[in-house]
Order: sequence, then C-alpha cells, then structure tokens
Amino acid sequence: MKKTAALLATLFLAATALGQAKDYREIPVPPLRKFSLPQPKRIQLSNGMVIFLQEDHELPLIRGIVYIRGGARNVPAAKAGLAGIYGQAWRTGGTPKQTGDELDQFLESRAAFVETHADDDSADVTINVLKGDFDAVFPVWVDLVKNPAFRQDKIDLAKTQANTAISRRNDEPGGIVGRESTKLGYGADSPYARQAEYATITSITHEDLVDFHQRTVHPNNMIVSFIGDFDSAKLEKKLRDTFSSWKRGAQVAKPDPAIHAAKPGLYFIPKDDVTQATIAMVHGGTERNNPDYYALQVMNEVFSGGFSGRLMKSLRSQRGLTYGVGGGVGSPWDYPGLFRLQMSTKSETALESVNALRDEVRRLVNDPVTEEELALAKESLLNAFVFTVDTRDKALQQQLLLEFYGFPPDTFTKYPAEIGKVTAADVQRVAKKYVQPDQLAVLVVGKESAFEKPLSSLGPVTNIDITIPTGAADQKKVAPSAGNAEGTALIRKVAQFVGNVSALQTLGRTGSMTMKTPQGDMQADVQSVTRYPDSQRSVLKLPMGEITRVITPDTAFVITPMGTQDLPSSQKDAQLADMRAELVTVLKNLDNPKYTFTAGAKEGDAQVLEINAAGTAVTWYVDPATGRLVRTVAQASQPMPGEVVTEYSDWKPLGGLNLPTVTVMSRNGEKAGEMHLASVEVNPAVDDKTFVKP
Amino acid sequence: MNRVRSLSILALLLVAATVTAQDLASFEKRIQSRVLSNGLTVLILERHDAPVFSYATIINAGSAQEVPGITGLAHMFEHMAFKGSDLVGTKNWSAEEQALRKVEATYAAYDQARHATVIDASKVEELRKAWQDEIAEADKNVQDNQFSEIVDRAGGVGMNAFTASDITGYFFSLPSNRFELWAYLESERFRHPVFRQFYKERDVVFEERRMRTESSPFGRLLEQFLGSAFIAHPYGFATVGWPSDLHSFSATDAQAFFDKYYVPANMVITVVGDVSSAEAWPVIEKYFGRLEKSPAPPALRVVEPPQIAERTVTLRESSQPIYIEGYHRPASTDPDSATYEVISMLLSNGRTSRLYKSLVRDQKIAAGAAGFNGFPGEKYPNLFTIYAIPTPGHTPEEAATAIHTEIDKLKTEDIQADELQSVKTRVKAGVIRGLTGNSGLAMQLAQYQTLYGDWRELFREVDRIDKVTAADVKRVANSTFMESNRTVGMIESASKGGAK
Repeated sequence: MKKTAALLATLFLAATALGQAKDYREIPVPPLRKFSLPQPKRIQLSNGMVIFLQEDHELPLIRGIVYIRGGARNVPAAKAGLAGIYGQAWRTGGTPKQTGDELDQFLESRAAFVETHADDDSADVTINVLKGDFDAVFPVWVDLVKNPAFRQDKIDLAKTQANTAISRRNDEPGGIVGRESTKLGYGADSPYARQAEYATITSITHEDLVDFHQRTVHPNNMIVSFIGDFDSAKLEKKLRDTFSSWKRGAQVAKPDPAIHAAKPGLYFIPKDDVTQATIAMVHGGTERNNPDYYALQVMNEVFSGGFSGRLMKSLRSQRGLTYGVGGGVGSPWDYPGLFRLQMSTKSETALESVNALRDEVRRLVNDPVTEEELALAKESLLNAFVFTVDTRDKALQQQLLLEFYGFPPDTFTKYPAEIGKVTAADVQRVAKKYVQPDQLAVLVVGKESAFEKPLSSLGPVTNIDITIPTGAADQKKVAPSAGNAEGTALIRKVAQFVGNVSALQTLGRTGSMTMKTPQGDMQADVQSVTRYPDSQRSVLKLPMGEITRVITPDTAFVITPMGTQDLPSSQKDAQLADMRAELVTVLKNLDNPKYTFTAGAKEGDAQVLEINAAGTAVTWYVDPATGRLVRTVAQASQPMPGEVVTEYSDWKPLGGLNLPTVTVMSRNGEKAGEMHLASVEVNPAVDDKTFVKP
Repeated sequence: MNRVRSLSILALLLVAATVTAQDLASFEKRIQSRVLSNGLTVLILERHDAPVFSYATIINAGSAQEVPGITGLAHMFEHMAFKGSDLVGTKNWSAEEQALRKVEATYAAYDQARHATVIDASKVEELRKAWQDEIAEADKNVQDNQFSEIVDRAGGVGMNAFTASDITGYFFSLPSNRFELWAYLESERFRHPVFRQFYKERDVVFEERRMRTESSPFGRLLEQFLGSAFIAHPYGFATVGWPSDLHSFSATDAQAFFDKYYVPANMVITVVGDVSSAEAWPVIEKYFGRLEKSPAPPALRVVEPPQIAERTVTLRESSQPIYIEGYHRPASTDPDSATYEVISMLLSNGRTSRLYKSLVRDQKIAAGAAGFNGFPGEKYPNLFTIYAIPTPGHTPEEAATAIHTEIDKLKTEDIQADELQSVKTRVKAGVIRGLTGNSGLAMQLAQYQTLYGDWRELFREVDRIDKVTAADVKRVANSTFMESNRTVGMIESASKGGAK
C-alpha cells in the first residue's frame, strides 16, 4: 500500500508541475504497481473430483458451482434441445425428497439460489447464499447434484418453454443471422450448429434426461469451486466428507465436430418487416491451442478492436453505414471456431455494405498492417491485460478454465510476453493463412425489394428457407385416413359437375392474375402447363419481365431476368402438396386409396368435404345440390403459416370440361390475389424440356 | 457507445433496492464526496485489490429534456461525446473550427430550404451539395476516433455510454496508473466538445434506430406503447428520436443542448477502485475545475395529466404475440415507491412470484411474465409495467386475463406475512449482491446521487421497504390498477387465422 501511495504522489507532483496539460501525451504514466491476488487452493479427491477454494471476505456471501463435462454437443442430432430441457428440469423437477416447487419456497425465503444450467460442452449446478444460510442450503445443492428427480410436469414445462423459443426464433433479424451463419460455417448437422425443432423436443423423454445424467455426472467428470466468506479448511473438510466416497464413472468424450461448411457464395433470407439488412460473412476459424493464437489476437484487434479498429473506423465513423460492425477469427478452447463478421445497415445500402465489408477483408489480407496499427493493437491488449486478473473471481475462473480444458498452468501468465513478440510480419502471415476472402459464405437477411439493387447483381444467390418445421405434434391435423360413404358420394357429384377428366393427361391454361403486394396490386398474364399428376410449368408476364416457375418431384426452380434459381425444398414440397389437392388432380384420384373423402356438416348452402389428398389436408365446401365447388380452405406453411381460402366462381365450359374461370385467394382473411382463366387446351403437345432445368 | 437504455436502469435499481445500517456505516467510512467550486459532485470509493479503477459520469438530463423537433438529441450528444474536443481528435483546430462553422451555415440554409412550404428541388440540391462540400473540407482535419484510441491504447475496457429518459451516463475502466489521463480525457470532452463528423454520426444513430426499433417487433411495440401511455410528458417520446428529427437536427442544436444541460451542477462523477483519494482530489480539482460554472438547468414543467380512459395499441405483425400493459404511478421519490417495489417483487421475483406461478408454471400460457417499476424513467411519474410472452397457441388476451386475476388478488386479498417477509429478505440480499465490482458500484452510486441527491438512498431504501405492510400493498394496488389508468400494447400474430 505504501508503494501505491508513493507512486500516486509522484504522479500528482508531476501533474502539478506540468500545469495545464495541452497534449495528452504530456501526462505522466507511472509504472503500474505490481500486485498479486490470492490464488485459489486446488484439491483433488481420489475419485478424480477437482475442487478449487477461494476466500473472499468483502461481502457476507458464498457462491459455488460444479461444472460437469458434457452438454449440447454430446447429444444426438435427433434429440437436439435435450441439454436445454435437462438444464431446466434438473432444478425445477426437484429431488426425491423435495419437489421443485418446494425447493423454490425453501430457497427464495432465504434469498438463496440453487440453479442448474446446461451449455454446449458442460452442465452446471450453482449455489449462491448469504453466509448465514450456507449450512442449511448446502445439503440441498448436494442432493440436487446427485439425485435429480426430473418430474414429468416440469419436463413438460421446459418443453413448452423450448417450443416458445423455437416459435420466436425468426422474429428478430439478429437472431436469424447469428444462428444461420453458424449453420453455414459448420453445417447444420455439426454438434456446434444443430438446432432444436418441435419434433426433436417432442421426442425427449424422462429416460433421456436420466440417461444423460448417468452418462455425465461422475466425480471424475466434474470440477467444484467455491468463492466467498468462508474458512477454506472447514469447507474443504465438508466437501471431502460429502464427495470422497462417490465412485468414478466413464469419462465424457468430445464429439467429432463433423464440420460440413457451406460452399462460398451469397445466401439470402427474406425478411420483410425490417428497415435494415443484416449481413454476416463466415468461414472456418481455429482453436485456442494454435501457436498462431497470439498473432491472431493482434490481428483481430487491428481489424475490429473497439472503436479504433479498422471496421468501426471505416464503416461507422467515416462512412456512417452502420451502428454495429465487428468480428474476427474465433478460437474456442477445444474445437474449431469460425471467422465471422457481422453488420447491419439500412436496406438501401445493403449491397454497398456487402462490398465494403468484403473490401475490408481483402485489405486485411493484402495490405500489411502499419507499425502504428500494430503498436496501438499491442498496447491496447497489453495495457488491458490487468483486467483479466483484477478480481479473485477472475483468478478462480481462470483456474477453472485451465482445469476444464486441460491447458498448461502458464496459459494466462505467458500471454503478455507472447503478445509482445508479435510482429507486423506475423500479423500479415496469419491474415493470409486464416482469412480467405474467396471462401466466405455471405449471408444477407432483409427486405430485398428495398435494397439498392437485387442481391443477385453481386452473383448467384442461394435462398435459405428458415420456415419452422411444424413437427410431429401438428401432423395430427391431417384429415382422417378413412373417408365415409357420404363423402364418396359428394366427391362423385363434384366429378359429374366438372366432367370426365380420365383422358386428361396435360392441361394448358392461359389467363391473367392480380396479386396483392406491399407495393400495391400487380397484374400479370399467365400461361401454364400441368402434366398430371405432379409437374407444372407456369410463366408470369410481369411489367418487370417474365418469371417462369417449374415444379416437379425432381426439380423446382424459377427463371427470372436475373437468372435461374433453385427453390428451397420446403417450397417445392409445399407446391407439390398443393398440386395433390388441386381440383382436377383430386378428381383424377377418386379411386386412389391415398385419397379419402369425408363429408361433414352443412354450412350455409355448402357441405363440408374433408379431403386427405395423399397427405395434404384440405377442406372443400361443395354445393350438395349441384356438386359445384364453392371454396377450399387449406393451411399453408409457405411463405408463412396461415390459412388460405380460395373461392371458385364463373364456371364455364372449357375444353370439354366445366371449370371455374374466376378464382379468388385470400390469406388469413386478407385478399391475396385473383386469377381469371381465359382459355384451356387439353393434352397439348409438350416438349420434354418443358420441365427440365436449362 | 451508446445504448439507448430504459429498461435496464430500472432493473438495476430493482436489484439494488436496499441494505442494512451496518452496510451503510461501512460505506460511510469509505466513500468521500465533494462538490467542486463549479458545482460538480464527485464521489470516490477506494478498493485496492488490483491496480485498476472504474468511473461513471451521470448527467441529470436525458430524452425527457427534449421537445418535438429535437427528439433524440440527448442520445445524439452522447455519441458526440466520443468525438473529442479542440485538443483531442483534430489535426488542425483553427482550420477545422472555421470549416465546421461553414458546415453549420450551409446546413442551416439547406435545412431551411428543404423544409419550406413550397420546395424548390434544384435549389435544395444545390444547397445540399454546398453543405456536403463543406463537410468534406472539415473532415480533412479530423483525427478519426482519437478519443477512443487513447482510451484503448491506455488499456481501457468497457468503454460505453447510455442515454435514458432521465439521465445520460458514460463509463469505462482503466489501469490505475492512467488516473490522470482519465481525468484529462473525461473533463476534456465536457469542457469543449467538438461536433465533428456530426452528420455522419447522425446516420449512425439512425442505423441504431433501425436496428433497435424499426427492425425489431418488440422495439416497435415499446415505441407505440409509450407513445400511447403518455400524451403530454416527454416520456412518450422515442429516446432514440423520431425519424423526422434524426433527419433534421444540427450540431448547433446539439451545442445548445450541451450548454443548457451539461453544466457541472447537473453532473455527478464517481470513481471506484485503486486510487488514493488524498492524491486523487487535487487531480480532479485541476482537470474538472476547468468546467465552466453555469446555472443548473430549469426543472421540467410538464406533468402528465391523469389518465381517464384505457388506451390500447395493437400491432399486427408476422412475428409472435407479446402482451404489455402499464399503469401510471408517481415518481420514485414518492413515499409509496417502496410499496410499488414490494408489489413488483411479489408479482415477478423468482419462481414463487405470482405471475410466474400462474401464467408460466400452472397455466403454461406464457414463457415469461413480470411486472416492474420505472418505465421508461423514474424521475417523473412513470409506469408500472407488466408483460407476458405467450407460449405457442396462446394469445395476448389470455395473458391479460390471467394478469388481471393476479392484480385483483392484490386489490382484494391481504398478502400473507411469510410472503411479505420473503420479499423483504430478498430485497436486502439483492442490495448486498449488488455491491460487487468497481464498475457496478460506480454506476449505482452515481445514479442514486443523481436521482436522489444522496448516494445513501441506495441503503436507506431497505428501511422503507421493511416498513411496507399488507395494507399498503392493498391500498396502492387499488389506487393504481384501474382500467381507466391502463395502457395496453399488443403484438398479434397476423398468421393467426380462422375460417371465414
């Protein structure tokens, strides 16, 4: 303490002597005083459990944690989301002695916390109590660690919470970009990118949680640590008495990262309720044990360290393009990280920003860092180093990390020396080695119609479909698999009304349609050819040019003035499902056992006819007197979930059939568009190439 | 920089509600407080574990000090406070000063022309170009981001700032051998801030608005909700600013705001960490003494009139539903504040809280539900706000019904002694838990000093909460939770559907 006082006195005298400093460089900087905080005590029990104890008597609190190896990455893909359910139901599901609700009451009346949580590579159980309550709460913590009950009602509650998160995951653009860029970087199936779906949540059982617990919670798989207002010797004895007799179990292994990164290129996810484009660029990164780690830290600092890094300086301060931009080469402790950049900008500068970000990436690789940049980056990292060890809590956290990931004890202490050695040439070398501008997957989320130009003007674009799969729970809504006699009679009446379709192989149609768009009504002439049962080509003539769409079980694509683009498989599937339930297709399948017809109640003048069209559920409303189809109601998942009602009118004889010439579609009660049929051609000659991608 | 923060301050105060006399006594001994001759209040708390310190500067002004036409200006100034002064951030101040004058003159002409009743497009374009040319000229003198570069180079961490309805705050941490450098920089930016790159930064702020408000369903909901709840008081303004104002206000406007509100008598600075107060005071006097003494800004006159009718805003969005409702309540200095705090704890704190038990655990209609005080601020009469995040298949209306059932219980049934005691115990523990870390302590002390005129209120609040009775809860619930005093905000999912 005396030393500090002396230093500060020097500092003060120097300042006074200088008078009014005009230049910050004139302000004296005394050397930072040497200090050392007490290091935690490490104890290892004979069963392998490692314990760290760190006394800290500033406040009357005691906090503890047990870290257990094994988390989301150790769960099979089909059970994605298990770790989250486990981490929640572990605590809320209570122990055989106390339900979770009883624990809530017991703990909260003492302002105490015992909580569980699961992460990517670990799970943990924490305790946080006022000193006076420690002896009462400690046994509850131990009991929960060793004997969770995973009661079913709380598993169900955790599943409801997980489903809520799934249902909301596409609401905020930042969330979409973070998640989807991770999937591009690792591949959606990697343990580091997998996401829970309704179906995987549904599949998780009580037994799964018990299995996971038994697989991971062994003394040789865990690290216990305590910090706070206690006597280390006494607490050590208490922990030894509690845990020493616990038997070892199998070690938890690290899974294969199974990285299947997406191809470099442009990826797009449409989101219309935003005024910004959110951009990410991603490719593979490295691991913490890489000897280039230190040079990479300096490179990251030059590139995007705080406000003085290149990205903020150029894209924010100088160009005003963004509020937030950043990123760099990631290096997690024990698996490969990603090189990732993220930025958001107004829709009108989306492409400009993609280009600007790419330019910065190229500059990082091609232009050597200046000595000035290098010095700033190194000084920033070295002078801030003290903040990695400035509290007892951080000293403890560091020991825990090294123990957990098996790193040498000097990992943190050698950091300043290693950073000090990094040269401009090192930075240049690692930039070339770990940053590959032509390998980036570039993801843009936003409203493309507001972009300054179509994204495809930068190159071929792959659309990513982020529609949330409805999951097993929703499949029950499909119409019953067996029909009724009344239904069969009713559909035959419809067939009579329309005419004989058995000879119909191919149907050509021309007409016009009006679509509601955010910019107003849009008119188009339409020509289509349907080859039953499952191929269709339609051509829309729009003011901005022609759009051709082809759907077959093998291929689905659109041709626009900007080029040819594949449709996401979910869109293809949705279109094929719609085709199965289309009027003529249904009438051609009256005797197909995969089609069932169930008549229901009468609503107004129409009778309800529930149709299961080989898995597609649709409700028809039919005039029972004539067999005329009045309207259909279907649940659509594309482009967003909703109810689609189609009204049919102005039936006219065309091509030997009786067909509706006016079709009006509405979605969720709002008119979406209408179609006027002008002429049809039965069995026109069709070129084989009609349904093949050019 | 530069979060527009409103919810989190409240959350912080909620955690930091109170403590025992013993804690107060121990802090009394360790905290030194001074008012400099220019009126600036400075607090120092020594903590010597490691050679580092943190600080917080709080200005007792926020977006509530704005009027239509300049909304967003408090936040804009906060951004400009990182642009330096006449000594920091310039390559050539005299040239830059001249150029910046021309930027303002050309901007004023351009702004006047484009807001004219009859617009002469070619003249507007000509004036716009003249203004842009002057900006290019001025930018030649800028030393980009020098202020933050100095902090970064010195080892600064956590450099940031926030603007709320009530206050604006600045903070970071440095190694303790940079204490004098800090005193220089922090005083420098409030001695003679220079509004360089103002109009580029205005674009950045607009991007912040697009990100936080326009492109986020929850952000859109909160803006609409507050705009409906307050018809007179500036708490109804968007802290980030309305688009028209973000497109229009000038560096000259920012200077006027600064001159009026950034006066030493309206500021509090706290320093927590490895500093010797005996040696720190002269440094503080030397640098912060440079800030010019000026009268404290006038108090806000407008008071939100009593609400006489329920108001509802419904956003029909493609995103998932959210429910939020607010009831007007008095400012945090009101004697009933402690009771409001107890009500908030009863409804929201932990898994034994009433909203969690009813909406989340038992009915499973919400993934989360809570009620909290002080939205969007607390210096003036504000809102007690309750929200719920419906689970799939459940609606905001169901959440509203369940929330109102719990509120009715508060109005009609006495809370049990053990439930009240549990709340009080957690309030006390919460204060103790909040007393960790240089940075958090600096911020808490500065906020209490600013809002209550005395940092000790951080500890005294515990005594007030200890005195709250079951009768208080019932009385305050009855006077607050009335339909006519309610504003409801909802996001309804447009994909809801149902056959016609």
